[in-house]
Amino acid sequence: MGEYTLADLEVWDEKICEIARGYGLDWYPIAYETCDYREMIGHMSYHGMPSHYAHWSYGKSFERTHFMYNAGAEGLPYELIINSDPSIAYLMLENPLYLQILIMAHCVGHSDFFKNNRTFKDTDAATAPMRFRNAAKRIKGYIEDPSIGIEAVEKILDSCHAINYQVDRRGRTRLSEKDLRKKYVDLIKNDEKKKWKDFNIDKLPLEPEYDIMRFVMENNPKLTDWQRDVISIVHEESQYFWPQIRTKVMNEGWASFWHYRILHDLQLPDEHHLPFLKTHNAVLRPWGLKLNPYHLGFEIFKDIEKRFGLEECFLARETCNDEQFILQYLTEEKARELNIFTYSPKGKKNPDWTIDDIVDGEDSWKEIRASLLQGVAGNMIPTIYVSEVKKDNTLILQHEHDGRDLELDYADNCVRLMENLWNGKVKLFTTVEEESFEIS
Amino acid sequence: MSIFREHKTSADRSANDRSRHKQKIEKAIKDGITDVVSEESIIGQDGKKKIKIPVRGLKEWQFVYGSAEGQKQTGSAPNTDIQKGQVVKKGQKQGQGQGDGSKAGKDKGEEFYEVEITLDELAEYLFSALNLPELEKKRVRTILEEKPKRHGTRPQGIQPRLDKRTSAIQRIKRLSAARRAGTVEVDEEGNEVFPFHENDLRYHHISSKPKEATNAVIFFMMDVSGSMSQDIKFLARSFYFLLYQFLRHKYERTEIVFIGHTTEAFETDEDSFFKRGSSGGTYISSAPELALDIISKRYHPSSWNSYAFHCTDGDNWDADNAKAFDKYAELASKCQMVGYCEIIPSEIMLKWKLDHRSKLFVMLQALAPSLRTSLIHGKEDIWPTFKKFFGGD
Repeated sequence: MGEYTLADLEVWDEKICEIARGYGLDWYPIAYETCDYREMIGHMSYHGMPSHYAHWSYGKSFERTHFMYNAGAEGLPYELIINSDPSIAYLMLENPLYLQILIMAHCVGHSDFFKNNRTFKDTDAATAPMRFRNAAKRIKGYIEDPSIGIEAVEKILDSCHAINYQVDRRGRTRLSEKDLRKKYVDLIKNDEKKKWKDFNIDKLPLEPEYDIMRFVMENNPKLTDWQRDVISIVHEESQYFWPQIRTKVMNEGWASFWHYRILHDLQLPDEHHLPFLKTHNAVLRPWGLKLNPYHLGFEIFKDIEKRFGLEECFLARETCNDEQFILQYLTEEKARELNIFTYSPKGKKNPDWTIDDIVDGEDSWKEIRASLLQGVAGNMIPTIYVSEVKKDNTLILQHEHDGRDLELDYADNCVRLMENLWNGKVKLFTTVEEESFEIS
Repeated sequence: MSIFREHKTSADRSANDRSRHKQKIEKAIKDGITDVVSEESIIGQDGKKKIKIPVRGLKEWQFVYGSAEGQKQTGSAPNTDIQKGQVVKKGQKQGQGQGDGSKAGKDKGEEFYEVEITLDELAEYLFSALNLPELEKKRVRTILEEKPKRHGTRPQGIQPRLDKRTSAIQRIKRLSAARRAGTVEVDEEGNEVFPFHENDLRYHHISSKPKEATNAVIFFMMDVSGSMSQDIKFLARSFYFLLYQFLRHKYERTEIVFIGHTTEAFETDEDSFFKRGSSGGTYISSAPELALDIISKRYHPSSWNSYAFHCTDGDNWDADNAKAFDKYAELASKCQMVGYCEIIPSEIMLKWKLDHRSKLFVMLQALAPSLRTSLIHGKEDIWPTFKKFFGGD
């Protein structure tokens, strides 16, 4: 820390908190930790969790980020804060003072979002760091156990990582096996229209199961205790991070919306204000071929405030996920202003990509919105569910095709990895170029 | 008020995961070695050339969407100047971009993980894994060559071998002795006059010493007739790459001769060796015949360690087998090692239910151990074949 001290940060933090409280923001206390850039990359590799289980992919992530940072290709993120109570956030020592002020204001926005958005209600922020530490210890124990070892643990982790976001994205309350069976027994009993005549009550699962890891844990008797535990660790982590995937646009938009307002209210001296504006504009610029969640979220929140007032912004931050947020609040007019467009490859082999639609009327807007929604709230991850376990113990997975084909090379490898978790044959049914396709 | 915690130096938290990652990369490099040699011409390159190795094992597989025709993505433009049909991303044309890079283009989301290493490093990776020093001694022999070498000086000799330096030293010794005795002549201006005497002169003594020859020539021979498919050539290329890298490390100077053959053999360069095919039948004997010819003209066995390897699909004219056997026997007597490989991709083998060893193959087995034979059905056989050639019996 060159030209400022921790005491300076505390003074600025005090001012930021005061302004934020004045607006009615309600966040977890924040614990800021200072670190150098190398440690920052280290924390990033583990999604900011103070402790996390070991896996080579985090080493890979470190190497990549480190390389990019040194090559100057990628700035480090300005902020890193986790959904916990207190929220742990990192301040990089290399940052100038104005940037730390910006980050602290931004973090207040994130923490408020974690605390109040409905999507996060089951993430149990208070115990999160402890649960991660505990999981890390258990995995370490298995790796060091001479009867298990790193290869075996990695095999399970690699497999889990392949399906870690195959979770039940609708967030429905899940009936237990027993209740589910009862539901169908009742249906068959009172079956006056003979609708359920051919229904196989012994089918497993009775209803499509979207939470694949959970299904495996409950229905693969060959798993050992430690294997089941490793799966449950990844499963729990997925449950914890899934809400962040669901709300990326809103979360970043909300935090940006607030850092922008708070920094204006702080009435920074020019020496801080001008570089702040420059950084703000750099972060909140359209990315061209990819949507910038900071930019999109920020613009929509600004628009909500303009149209309905600040109170509506608070309502949206509480009740929506990205999908609902865009459906409810992104207007055709705003989309036109943001120059949102769709584009696709034309042809099969190394084709040119050209623009399909720009917002120039209701029809094109609907088209654009539909593909916009396919890229947010976890919709960029294909939905796969367990449809059946065959008599010979083959696990049948079904891809819910929504017009987009799977990358087959990847799907193929995922099916292979699934076999490690199932201890048996796995088949995946999907659609490729409008014809049904089977991967086994 | 938030809590502020001062930076405390903590252990490098990702160190273990990084070293595990590195281990996996190294393994992937070894496993994927045959994929390395697909595009670029690297067999004849020197060790400083950098190559990119796509490391496949390190992908983090997930279910992802592909980028099929018409599959739409959304973007948001920084300026208003956009129109339907406008090209936003140029397709990579075939041949554009470098090497495996173009293949990487199809991978959505995750970039192809590439490690850039030099050929020297690659060779080190490969052969350190072999860990068979005994094998090298056995198979990589170096021939001894009589080389004249200077060995001390003598007072007698011929003019061209005059050792000026030692002679000058002798004169200086005599001069200082003369000074002490006060017998040095002085000219009119007071300068010492002290010419060389015959006894000062020293001549290099030359004696013959055996020395290891450090030159190697490798003959890569390949059937380029119509029956050799690209698959077979690819396998041959991978195998030759390994052989070259290995031998290059054992000798100071390594030369390569590419011999392609159909019914006739011809010397060619790396590029046309692997890429161009000809039509016509096959006389396998033509290749060793040409190799023998080249050895006698350019690479005399007294100063060159010769290696010859031949890849073919084994489809030889029966009438040629006897001649081929003779030529091979002769070649084997002049080379450190001769390797004969028949490459038959496993799918073809299954399809035609071939008895996969040709008659010639069976005949040549009699020439072991100076000639080694191997069957290659796929990538996975390359490394074992290599070990078989340079390993024990």
